[in-house]
Amino acid sequence: MQHWRGVKQMSTTTINMNAEANQNTSGLSYWQLVRRRFMRNRYGVAGLIGCIFVLCSAIFAGFIAPYGVESKDRKAIYHPPQSINFFNEDGSLARPYILGFAEEMDMNTFEITFVPDPSDRHDLSLFVDGDSWSFLGMEFSTHLFGTTSGAKFHLLGTDSLGRDVFSRMIWGTRITLLMGILVMGAALVIGTSVGVASGYYGGRFDLVTQRIVEFVKSFPDLPLYLALVAILPRRAEPMTIFIMFAAILVLLRWADISRELRGKVIALRSMEYVRAAVSVGASDKRILARHIVPNTSSHMIVWATYQLPEVILLESFLSFLGVGVQAPMVSWGTMLNQVRDFQSFAAAPWLMAPVAMIIISVLAFNAFGDGMRDAMDPYAND
Amino acid sequence: MTEPLLKVENVVVDFRTVAGTVNAVRGVSYEVARGETLAVVGESGSGKSVTARAIMSMLAENAIVGAESRITFDGKDISTFSELEMQRLRGNQISMIFQEPLTSLNPIYRVGDQVAEIILTHRPMSKKAAMAEVLKLFEEVRLPNPEARLSQYPHEMSGGQRQRVMIAMALANKPDLLIADEPTTALDVTVQAEILGLLKELQRSHNMAVILITHDLTVVEKTSDKVVVMRYGEVVERGLTDVVFANPQHPYTQHLLASEPKGKPDALDPSAPVVMSSDKLRKVYNTQYGGFFSRKNYELVAVDDISATLHKGETLGIVGESGSGKTTLAMSLVRLQEVTSGAIYFDGDRIDQLDRAAMRPYRTRIQVVFQDPFSSLNPRMIVRQILEEGLIVNGIGKTAAEREALIKQALADVQMPADAMQRFPHEFSGGQRQRIAIARALVLQPEFILLDEPTSALDLSIQAQIIDLLRELRRKHDLSYLFISHDLKVIRALCHNVIVMQHGQVVEEGPTEQVLSSPTNEYTQRLVDAAFNVVA
Repeated sequence: MQHWRGVKQMSTTTINMNAEANQNTSGLSYWQLVRRRFMRNRYGVAGLIGCIFVLCSAIFAGFIAPYGVESKDRKAIYHPPQSINFFNEDGSLARPYILGFAEEMDMNTFEITFVPDPSDRHDLSLFVDGDSWSFLGMEFSTHLFGTTSGAKFHLLGTDSLGRDVFSRMIWGTRITLLMGILVMGAALVIGTSVGVASGYYGGRFDLVTQRIVEFVKSFPDLPLYLALVAILPRRAEPMTIFIMFAAILVLLRWADISRELRGKVIALRSMEYVRAAVSVGASDKRILARHIVPNTSSHMIVWATYQLPEVILLESFLSFLGVGVQAPMVSWGTMLNQVRDFQSFAAAPWLMAPVAMIIISVLAFNAFGDGMRDAMDPYAND
Repeated sequence: MTEPLLKVENVVVDFRTVAGTVNAVRGVSYEVARGETLAVVGESGSGKSVTARAIMSMLAENAIVGAESRITFDGKDISTFSELEMQRLRGNQISMIFQEPLTSLNPIYRVGDQVAEIILTHRPMSKKAAMAEVLKLFEEVRLPNPEARLSQYPHEMSGGQRQRVMIAMALANKPDLLIADEPTTALDVTVQAEILGLLKELQRSHNMAVILITHDLTVVEKTSDKVVVMRYGEVVERGLTDVVFANPQHPYTQHLLASEPKGKPDALDPSAPVVMSSDKLRKVYNTQYGGFFSRKNYELVAVDDISATLHKGETLGIVGESGSGKTTLAMSLVRLQEVTSGAIYFDGDRIDQLDRAAMRPYRTRIQVVFQDPFSSLNPRMIVRQILEEGLIVNGIGKTAAEREALIKQALADVQMPADAMQRFPHEFSGGQRQRIAIARALVLQPEFILLDEPTSALDLSIQAQIIDLLRELRRKHDLSYLFISHDLKVIRALCHNVIVMQHGQVVEEGPTEQVLSSPTNEYTQRLVDAAFNVVA
C-alpha cells in the first residue's frame, strides 16, 4: 500500500521527484501500522486488556489481595464465598457491606453449614490497612479493599486451613506467570540461538542440529515430564525445585521455535539485502545481528505470546497432579491440587476459582497473540 | 458503428486500509466492441487491473465499488448481478488470463482435467466429450504434442506452455470478452512475442472483444486497435492506437511515450586499461535425482567456460533469457558465488581463490546493485544505517560526522534529499529505493559496479530516469559497469559492448550497435525481433 502511494507520487521529472520525496512524510512506520491494525481487531484488544489485568494482579498482588498467602482464619475453615450487598434489608440503597456467617451444625448429619447473620454486618471500604506486604523492598500495609472494622472478608471463601482463596489466587498469579515467562524466555533464547545459527551456517552443522531438534521433539512429553519431575530432590528448597521444574519445561520447549526460525533464516539468508551486506564486506556476526535477527522479531513475538498460555496450562496441570510447583509456593495449579478428590470438590466448589483465572489468562494471551499475528503480517495490505 | 459489447461507465473503486481510504479508481469509463482489442496502459498503481477486476467482480474484500458505477455487458447491467449470476458469466462469456502462469494453474491436477472442469462447470456434457474439446483447444493454442499434454502436470511444462494452457482455459467456453491482465510480463521476450501473436490470431478467428492490460508500449502499439491511458485511477487519454501514438495530447501520454529507453552510451576511450576479466569461467551445479537406490548425478553447467573483459569506463551488457546463466556469471565475477573452475582478475590481481577475509580490501572497489529494490534494502534499518554499514565495516570515516558527510554526498549523487536518511525504505517508491540502493554502492567509492537488472522491477518512466542517472554517474566517477538485463532496449541505451548468453554459453558478443543491428546468430536474431518488433 505504501508502495502504491509512493509510485503514485513519483512525478515525471527528476527535479519534481525530489520535491515529492520531501512531501512523502505521511508514511507510517512499521510499528505504527502494526498498532493501527491491532487496534482495529476487537478480539485482540480484549485480549490485550485481559493480559494487562493478569499482569497487574501479578505485579501488585500484595495490594489487590486483601490478605497474605499464609494468613489463616482459624474460625473459618471451608468458609463459603461472601457476597457483597448493596441494599439494606428494607430495600434502600446502602454503602456496600458484607454479612458475617454464623456456623450451624445439622444435628442429624453433623454437617456444618454457614448461614449469613444479619446482625454481624461489616461495611466495605477501599484502601484499608491490613497484612503488610513488600514491593521493591518497600513495606506497605494498604490493600485495595477490605472491611472497615477489620473483620475477615472472604470473597471467594476459604480452604481447609482457613486461607482466603481470592488472596491466594491473586498471589498465585505471580508464580504461574513467573513460570510462564521464565520458560518462554529461556526457550526463546535457546531456540533462537540454535535456530538462527543452524539456518544461517547450514551444511553439516545444520544437519546435526536439526537431528537433535527432531530427537527432542520426538519425546513423549507427558511421561517424560512426570519421570523428570520424579527425580527432582524432594527435600530441596521450594525455589530450587521451581527452577529445576522450569528447566525441565525449557528442555522440551526450545525445539519448536528453533525449527521455525531455521526455516525463516534460510529464506532471509538469500534475501538481496543480506547479499548486499556481504558485498560491502560485512562479517557473519554483523549480518546476523543487524540483518537476520531483527527481521525474525515479529515471528518471535508472536511465538512468545502463544507460548505463554501453553506453559500456564502445563504448569497448572502438573502442579495439580502434585508434581510441579511445591508448597509453600502458591500457584493456580497447587491451589487446584487441594480439590483433587471428589469429596472436597463437593464440599467446597469455590476452591475451583483458579480455573477461572487460568481460562481468562489463556484466552487473553491467545487473543493477544492472534491479534499480534494478524497485525504483524507483512503481506496484509488492508 | 456497432453497439459495444462491454461498456464501463464511471467506475469508482476505493480500498479501506489502516492508513485511510485509497481511491484506486476514480470514475473510469471505456467500452469495447466485438472483434476489437482495447489496450489499457498505465504504470503500477494506475488502477488498470483494479478496473478489470471490478468488471469480473473479483475485487478484494476491503474494496468499495462506487454507487454510480455501471458495467453493461451485452446489453445487461452486470454491476447489479448477484455472485451466483456472476459465476455463470465468469469463465463462460467473460474470461480472464492472469499475469503469473506459474501460479495460476493448480499444481496437483493434470492440466487436461483443469481445462475440462471449466467446460463441465458451464456446459453439461460427458467427461469424454469435454476431454475431446480440450484436445481441440490445445491444438488451437498450438501446444506441441497436445495428446500427451492432457495428462501432464503444470510443473512439467515451461512458462510459455503454461500460459498457452491458461489461454486454452480462457477460450474453453468461447467467451465474448477476454480480459488479459499483463499476459506476457512474466515470460521471456521470445515467448512473449509468440503468445501475443497467438492471442491476436485467436481473437480474429473467434471474433472476441479483448481488453489487454499492459505497461509495455511496444505491445500496445503492435497489437491493439484502441488505447486507454490511465494514471492515478483516471483515464487521461483515449483514442485509436495509431492516432494516440502519432499525436499524443495529454502531457502524461507524451511523457510515457518519451520514456522509452533511448540515447547512446558515451564514446569509449580505446586505450583504457582492463578492470575486470575472466578466463574460462565455469560453474557447474550438481543435482541428484532418481530413487534411493538408483540415484543419478546430473551436472547442470550454468556458466560454460566464459571469458570476458571489461575496460575502465566501459559498460558491458550481458543479455539472455531466464536460465541463461547471466546472473550466475555476474555473481561469480563479484565473488558472491563460488566458481567451479577458471580465473577472475580484478585490476590485475587474481581474486577467484581469495576467501572472505582476503576479499575484503576488494569489496569497497567492487559493488553490486540488485534487481529488486524491495528486497535489497533491509526493512528494519533507516536509510542512514543502510548506507553507513559499508563505511563502518570497512573503517571508512573515523567519526559519525565524517560518515554522515559521505552519506549526504552519495545521496546527492543519486538526487535524493539528505533528509531521506532518517526514513525507512518502505516510505519510498520503487524508483527512489533503487536510487538508495545505488547510493549504497556509491558511498564506498567503487571502481566497478555490477548492475543486476536494476530497472526491470520499475515502471517505464522511472526506468528512463535510472538509466539517465547511471549514465551521469559513470561520467562523473569514471565507473565501469557490468549490466545484466533481458531488455535489449535498455542495453542499447547504456552498453558499449554486449554479450548474448544462452544455456550458459556465449552465443554472440561484440559492440552493442553491431550486435543489435546485424545479429549473426539465429538466437540473437530472435531476441532482437522480439524486443523491437514484438509480433512477427
